[in-house]
Amino acid sequence: MKGKCYIQAMAAISPQPTFEGDIFSAQLVHTDSNLLACIEPDYKPFIPGNSLRRMTRVLKMGLTAALKCSQESGITIPGPIITGTGKGSLQDTEKFIKEIAEYKETALNPTPFIQSTYNSVNGLIALQQKCTAYNNTFVHRGFSFENALLDSMMLLQEGATHTLTGAFEEITKEHFYIKSRIGFWKEAPTDNRELYRHLSPGSIAGEGATFFTLTGTPTPQSYAAISDFRMLYKPRGGKLAEALKSFTTSPDLIITGRNGDSNHEHYYQELDQCFPGIPQLPFKHLCGEYDTAGAFGLWLAAQIIKAQQIPATWFPGTEHLSAPVRTILFYNHFYGEQHVMLKLERV
Amino acid sequence: MEELKKKLKEQIIEALNLQDTKPEDIDDNAPLFGEGLGLDSIDSLELMVLLERQYHIKVEDPREGRKILQSVQSMAEFIQAKQPA
Repeated sequence: MKGKCYIQAMAAISPQPTFEGDIFSAQLVHTDSNLLACIEPDYKPFIPGNSLRRMTRVLKMGLTAALKCSQESGITIPGPIITGTGKGSLQDTEKFIKEIAEYKETALNPTPFIQSTYNSVNGLIALQQKCTAYNNTFVHRGFSFENALLDSMMLLQEGATHTLTGAFEEITKEHFYIKSRIGFWKEAPTDNRELYRHLSPGSIAGEGATFFTLTGTPTPQSYAAISDFRMLYKPRGGKLAEALKSFTTSPDLIITGRNGDSNHEHYYQELDQCFPGIPQLPFKHLCGEYDTAGAFGLWLAAQIIKAQQIPATWFPGTEHLSAPVRTILFYNHFYGEQHVMLKLERV
Repeated sequence: MEELKKKLKEQIIEALNLQDTKPEDIDDNAPLFGEGLGLDSIDSLELMVLLERQYHIKVEDPREGRKILQSVQSMAEFIQAKQPA
């Protein structure tokens, strides 16, 4: 996808203290439970109490991140709202399914059913912001956020002045267990600070809600430009290296979705071979692995390119940038299937 | 009847997750919708489910539901009328 768009504002709720305060002096939150859960903010300043009581965790996180992003952008009523989610509200889905069994398909509560639909967060944003413009949610596993981004970029090219684009995901105990049965997570308790040193099958679970206000033209407040974007599905036989080389030649920094999973580490090794000597920062020790973790990675990349600074405690050993960062290559994949490359430029 | 109303208030608070509301805050005759507790149409569906799950009473006619769900008093009277003596 050619054609630039600009990140005007952004907000992230993640397992790290990203929602408020200065991330460049924030401490790294760590755990050895193989599950990085979000630090939830106080929702009351964002969501009326009467609405809040009905919402489950991911709805609150998604809506609040979207509202904070809108606030930061200065846009009171957003235009198009486009999001991506791999699983939507798992808590509501699980509750609804359990009640089907418990009450033998009778006397079913409507709320978990309504909220289990993937587009609930979008609907809530639109209702609260009184937005009647284009509204779409993409659900494509590891390409969910990326399709939302692609749609947003096309809307901007068609003349939309801005879009509210984001992703949200939650992990529940039940879902963590199911995915552990199919080898998604590491068997041994792994501290997220040591994630890349423990190359073994699986990664650590995560979750998050990240939103961006994207515009077609830059402003002095813009974080970064997204100048190129490519998705690859299950690349085989040198296709990835070929795509990476043709995508960009010499980025100043590479942000990767490396996650300590030995089953799919070879893709990141192909990346290393394509760009030897270029500094890399992995981000999955901060947010864990999930379908839309790429949105968090993009948020981090945009923070770094704007501030020309690395959150020091999050990256021990690479606390400082050795040279100005004008371009960043972002590369992530989801369990070897959905591969994403993004190019960020300094505005 | 008083015991039933007290129990009903507790069940409403739990089913609708009415944080910061105590049973004693709910007036027996105050309207549940609009003013009073300020409930909405989704809540009315949840209250129907509550009647079905807790008291095994199914409200078939939505017009009837409007009258039944007016207040805690009207709900309690309806439950009492439907329950075997």
